[in-house]
Amino acid sequence: MEPQLNQEVLKTAAAHDGPIETDAVIVGAGPVGLFQVFELGLLEIKAHVIDSLAYPGGQCVELYPDKPIYDIPAVPVCTGQELTDNLLKQIEPFGATFHFGQEVTTVLRQDDGRFFVETSKGTKFLTKTIFIAAGVGAFQPRTLKVDGLEKFEGKQVFYRVKNPADFAGKNLVIVGGGDSALDWTLNFVAEGPHKAESVILIHRRDGFKAAPASVAKMRELCDAYEMQFIVGQVTGYEEKDGKLTGAKVTGSDGVTRVVPLDMLLVFFGLSPKLGPIAEWGLDIERKQLKVDTEKFATSVPGIFAVGDINTYPGKKKLILSGFHECALAAFAAAPFIFPDKKIHLQYTTTSPKLHKVLGVESPVFD
Amino acid sequence: MTHVVTESCIRCKYTDCVDVCPVDCFREGPNMLVIDPDECIDCAVCIPECPVNAIYAEEDTPPDQIAFIKINAELAQAPGWKSITKRKPALEDAEEWKDKPGKLSELIR
Repeated sequence: MEPQLNQEVLKTAAAHDGPIETDAVIVGAGPVGLFQVFELGLLEIKAHVIDSLAYPGGQCVELYPDKPIYDIPAVPVCTGQELTDNLLKQIEPFGATFHFGQEVTTVLRQDDGRFFVETSKGTKFLTKTIFIAAGVGAFQPRTLKVDGLEKFEGKQVFYRVKNPADFAGKNLVIVGGGDSALDWTLNFVAEGPHKAESVILIHRRDGFKAAPASVAKMRELCDAYEMQFIVGQVTGYEEKDGKLTGAKVTGSDGVTRVVPLDMLLVFFGLSPKLGPIAEWGLDIERKQLKVDTEKFATSVPGIFAVGDINTYPGKKKLILSGFHECALAAFAAAPFIFPDKKIHLQYTTTSPKLHKVLGVESPVFD
Repeated sequence: MTHVVTESCIRCKYTDCVDVCPVDCFREGPNMLVIDPDECIDCAVCIPECPVNAIYAEEDTPPDQIAFIKINAELAQAPGWKSITKRKPALEDAEEWKDKPGKLSELIR
């Protein structure tokens, strides 16, 4: 489903005429990006967090929300979703602002040493530091691999539904076997303002990775001739006068049939792509950002990289390594933000200053 | 970067690797599996699963197996090569073929 923009974010954006001015931008809201908020927070550095997904958690939530994780120190077992929820709770005192459903497209160094950052949704920042916690990259919709089809993208071929009204009254072909494919199929078959003229669902096999109730509902609708389900794969297309007119669907019987359509909706799930990070002028080795192990700084001063996205001698892609990297990167970033302030290492157990930033009472020992 | 299935897989097709892949990037042909380089996220979880050590990170691919980088990329898009996400029994004579070198000529595309 299409990510919904947080109303607070919209308000913040509207209140700003120019870019949002901030001390830190974190790219990626996976576990490491979230913990970066915490480590910066202890040093009284406020952060804005950007993620391509519509929700926090990154790979943990997108790839294995229900799989148990056993190697988080002091947490014998938790799922990816639980880890994310706990981290969100842990960083609550620091009031980070989240910008979901958008990826960073531009990073430009300004004359004053700050960075201009822009996202795919046009959110703009001027920031003193950047923390890239982008894991394996930004999750993007998997595309339908049929040569030439890309020229219809955004006109008749869609990988997400931005505005359901665009599809009302049209002859739709929906491809996929997951929840997104099923949910949108049911949505466009249902009576209402977005009802399509016709809906044909295509999936490569007669088995779905979607909620059983949705699958049952879809079959009911097929039985009632409200829609059609075809087992097959889209292997080609037909066009006339520059318009896509039909999808060539090869069935399990090996026969290819043409299915006429106005719009083709494809829901093949999400796959991470490194994307524009490769163009920010940072030293890259094997699709990872080279950092030092003292500061986790990239080749550009002020830009740090933490978690799975970075590489250094002996790097192990573990969440716990990412957490450690966040702490050191935060301390390394402090001089960019508070050039004249001496930064001391303090402990959350004993430091009244940290208790203040955490919003907790300092314990009294009698 | 990606990971690459090499020659050892041919005529064996143990499918232990596909169960662990978090992004479902394996594609199945008649007597071999390949990895779709556009989907692989280099998590490396599949490497130790393979009973015949057929999988390498792209840059660790042994010199005599380099051709498989291209073979994986091509076959991943080839018609008839389909996504495989659940383990299934290996080919019947897998045991017999697993230690044989020079199996490239046996590959059915």
